[in-house]
Amino acid sequence: MTLARVARWLLALAAALVVLWSFFDVGLRAYQRWDSARKDTRTELTILHWGDNDEIRIVEELVAAFEAEHPDIRINRLHASDYDTKLNTMFAAGDPPDLFYLRYEDVPKLAGMGLLEPIDTPVARDVKATGEDWIGEFYPVLLDAFKYDGQKLGAGPLYGIPKDFTPMLMYANLQLFQRAGVDVPYDGWTWAQFDDAMAKISALEDPNGEVYGSVIASWPAVLRNMVWSYGGDYFNGTDFTDVTLDEPEAIAALEHVRRMRFDDKTAYNATGGDAQGLGEQEFYTGRIGVVGPIGRWRTPRFRSIDTFDWDVVPFPHLEGKDPASVVAVVAWGMSSTTKHPEESFKLMKFLCGTQGQKLTARSGLAVPCTKPVAESDDFLQPGQKPANAKLFIDLIDTARIGQMPPEPEFARIFEEEVAQTIQYGKQSAEVTGKNTEARWLAELGSPLRNRSFPRMAWGVIVGSSGVLLVLVVGGLFLWLRREKLGAIDRAQERAGWVFISPWIVGFLVLTFGPMGLSLLLAMSRWTSMQPLGEAEFVGLGNFGHMVSYDASFMKSVWVTTYYALLAVPFGQVLALLVAVLMNQKVKGIAIYRTVFFVPSVVSGVALATLWVMMFDNKRGIINRVLGWGYQLLAPAIDRVNELLIALGSDHVLLNRPPDWFGVDAELFAIPAYVVMALWGVGAGMVIYLAGLKGISESLYEAAKIDGAGRMRAFFSVTLPQLSPLIFFNLVMGIIGSFQVFTQVYVMTNGGPGNATLVYVLKLYREAFEYHKMGYASAMAWVLFIVLLILTGIVVKSSKSWVHYEGLK
Amino acid sequence: MMATSNPLKKRKPIDGHAVLVYSLLFLGAFLLLIPFYWMLTNSLKTEAEAMANPPTLLPMASYVELEGESLEVSLGEKDDTNQTIRVTIKVGADHPRNGEEHVVAQADIHRNLTPRWENYPRALERMDFMGALANTTVITVLCVIGQILSSSLVGFGFARFRFRGRNFLFMLMLSTMMLPPQVSMIPLFILFRNLGMIDTIWPLVIPMWLGSPFYVFMFRQFFTQVPEELVEAARIDGAGNTMIYWRLMLPLSGPVIAIVAIYTFMFVWNDFLGPLIYLNSPENRTLTLALNAFNGNYGVSDVQLLMAASFVTMLPCILLFFAAQRYFVQSTAASGLKG
Repeated sequence: MTLARVARWLLALAAALVVLWSFFDVGLRAYQRWDSARKDTRTELTILHWGDNDEIRIVEELVAAFEAEHPDIRINRLHASDYDTKLNTMFAAGDPPDLFYLRYEDVPKLAGMGLLEPIDTPVARDVKATGEDWIGEFYPVLLDAFKYDGQKLGAGPLYGIPKDFTPMLMYANLQLFQRAGVDVPYDGWTWAQFDDAMAKISALEDPNGEVYGSVIASWPAVLRNMVWSYGGDYFNGTDFTDVTLDEPEAIAALEHVRRMRFDDKTAYNATGGDAQGLGEQEFYTGRIGVVGPIGRWRTPRFRSIDTFDWDVVPFPHLEGKDPASVVAVVAWGMSSTTKHPEESFKLMKFLCGTQGQKLTARSGLAVPCTKPVAESDDFLQPGQKPANAKLFIDLIDTARIGQMPPEPEFARIFEEEVAQTIQYGKQSAEVTGKNTEARWLAELGSPLRNRSFPRMAWGVIVGSSGVLLVLVVGGLFLWLRREKLGAIDRAQERAGWVFISPWIVGFLVLTFGPMGLSLLLAMSRWTSMQPLGEAEFVGLGNFGHMVSYDASFMKSVWVTTYYALLAVPFGQVLALLVAVLMNQKVKGIAIYRTVFFVPSVVSGVALATLWVMMFDNKRGIINRVLGWGYQLLAPAIDRVNELLIALGSDHVLLNRPPDWFGVDAELFAIPAYVVMALWGVGAGMVIYLAGLKGISESLYEAAKIDGAGRMRAFFSVTLPQLSPLIFFNLVMGIIGSFQVFTQVYVMTNGGPGNATLVYVLKLYREAFEYHKMGYASAMAWVLFIVLLILTGIVVKSSKSWVHYEGLK
Repeated sequence: MMATSNPLKKRKPIDGHAVLVYSLLFLGAFLLLIPFYWMLTNSLKTEAEAMANPPTLLPMASYVELEGESLEVSLGEKDDTNQTIRVTIKVGADHPRNGEEHVVAQADIHRNLTPRWENYPRALERMDFMGALANTTVITVLCVIGQILSSSLVGFGFARFRFRGRNFLFMLMLSTMMLPPQVSMIPLFILFRNLGMIDTIWPLVIPMWLGSPFYVFMFRQFFTQVPEELVEAARIDGAGNTMIYWRLMLPLSGPVIAIVAIYTFMFVWNDFLGPLIYLNSPENRTLTLALNAFNGNYGVSDVQLLMAASFVTMLPCILLFFAAQRYFVQSTAASGLKG
């Protein structure tokens, strides 16, 4: 007893010390910052970037060097791991950073909205003033990627200076090439040669597992390299209405990926949340011949491989077609609302200048954008892998800019459709091409896009809602005064209002205001990157778009319903049973309670990474254990399947563990999330446990005297006594499962295809990826109303099964 | 702990119920702990081992006996017949034999348990743990206090006072739980920006001082069950509303406070979207933001460090629960009232 008390005291003391120290530390830092900001009169520039620790160090070093050179400028360096959300929120709030990382794919969208500052004039002025043609040192194709004329990239004003780039190529395991007797294709290869080599490498034996010829990276931006290598493309022309994915070249390219993965089985079909990333990691095992098309970013990590030698080789192409390379380029872009365009330009030039390019080169993460640095030993790094580093620069000659429409929906539609072909192998490439085009044209054909609507009359709305508010409050006040109350009632009323006033304030400011705004937005078309004044009134147009023009909306409704149907009943029953178990008076129960509760405290990236590892088809522990079970059951399952086929059924049972986030994702990805949610059963258990503890012992004694057994007591005492809590948990469970978001966002982000596109994720995308705040608000209101109806049903039914006692 | 064997006591027959309870407890605990085991074991591996396929159950490393010394090696290429293997000695940079390459017989390599404890200091350093811990602690403490005070006040108001519009307001409050928080994100951001609170902790703390429907509901449910006689007795003794709230209701609601504290603590400690949007400067970032920094733009790198960092980050939640759980167990005040 005393020992436990001492431990508790020590714990409390430690906690108190940590809290004290934290307040002191944070307070001190806040004071120091306030103090130094007060004395600082320098111009402040804000910059935003992404990247891991190496990249942070590079930017830090550059910022320090710049500040030393320019004592009148102070730089506020911001870094975000969830970069797009951060940048979009800053734009939406009208407070964008002065300079920020800019991918060329985002140029049409941002420039189209007038958010980017063209920099041709300052560049020309600077070249003239310094007499150095520093801009001429950049590879022209990389500068072209940041020129946009309102229709296509490659012409028009320049919107950024490239800071680094990488062409897409393949990393090859030289040892496997040698063992298979295949020459390393340093000078390029055709698809026929590629298939031949892959067949030979896949045939190799390895005691630790299967050897695959390749891992084909397949997110839309790099998959384009595949289509180009067959002489096809995504679009014909730059008005982006003629999708060419249904033409023979593109069909052949996608069909080839499908064949390698599903028929020849020479390509490893990666599974898991981040399928591409895991596929590349498979390269470490030494059982993958080549991985690509991917870029330079893998080089630093692959350098830690010491079990085999590797190098880089070009991506294959079809015989008779010219090789083409996708490039990924990132620039520093300037926001059009910057208050200090001159200082910002100075900084931009410095960040992309020789010193910056050299630091990038040495980090090994990317290729510098200026010829002198790229061709120097800073980048080529003789003696370091890959030996063929020059290939990264040589591929500039075949580099092309991938034209993409400014609407980000295209990439998502294509990603969803193409997964049916190359991830699940169950839809022909031709159908994928046709579906993509049809869905894309439906999106473009929506009245929300091509009709013009009147502006929202914000003045009238604000004015009339103000008048209405005054009338309602005044009327309410008068109505309350009219009824004469006794002194006690008046005191009751006053005290009640005083006690609930914190919530009233919170409701008005944090909920009612935003809610009212979102209701108005639900009837509008508004791009959140532009001022609210430009919102247009579309009436019920958003709701029409949901039903008629947006195929993935219904999909998201189905996915969410599927999740809720599984998660709510299983979650509630399990939580209740575990709570009953935790209420047993046995030794060591405190430890068990903690064990059962602890899983619910893991969250975010850690939770996602952990479960992706656990659910992995090949190396995850879940499928390893299930695999043993299936080995025992396989004969029985086969027997049942024979019977099913004999009966004329199209569907048979799986005779292997499901590939949760891989080929079986359509059916099994959502149950996988339910399993994850059940792991966190402790959170619901706690509420039930508190309820169980509140049930008076005398009720059980009375039941016992009446001759009730344990089961009877559970159903006649425990359940009725807990029913208010069950009701509460049920309502919260329904709400929570319809709002499921974070895990899916971090783990699979809706994929593969749209197998895990839950409703709130779809809503989030509409709001923060496509910037359709009006449409997103309309979706939020649909969800709100559905939840209201469901809760209403539960409340209605609760009258018959919820048992209340005490005052109401 | 106090179990002293009493020879006079008759031996009890085996209790079937206890056997069932214990086996369920063991089974459940075993299943629930597997992911933790996976997290811990991976946090003690090298990166290559954490990514190995097939996976290893424990952090292992290969050793070779060279001149009487057992040295850790990394495995390289095998020969064609799988008999010998090239190994590189890895024993830390200051050891004279570090980096030597040898070709040895496969059979001479033995595998030993080798946990990499150094992953922990490395992970903590990489995420700037101390700074992030201080920030997170301050935010969490302020939020927990605010949440308990405000939600219990409002819950008290809804539970024990009759005023016109009460039921309407209560239903209104419950219905706001159904609003997806993503809807109000942008309007709220604009609001806090206009108040000049970006990159401060206030946008994260202030909402917690204004009551949350979920917890108000819990307090209200609890307070409605307190017998009226008890309150009347207090009133006769001359207690005002504030006194009744502070001296009677709050002390009674220990279990609810514990739940609200734990839930709020967990939510704030693990919140990602809020800090992401409102906090800018690196020195203001919270533990979740720091953890997410392991998730680079090219997927998670250094999985083993992420696992180590996650483990340390969630330790406070575990300890808190362990310490606070006795409050729901010892809710004698609540159950005593009913009898």
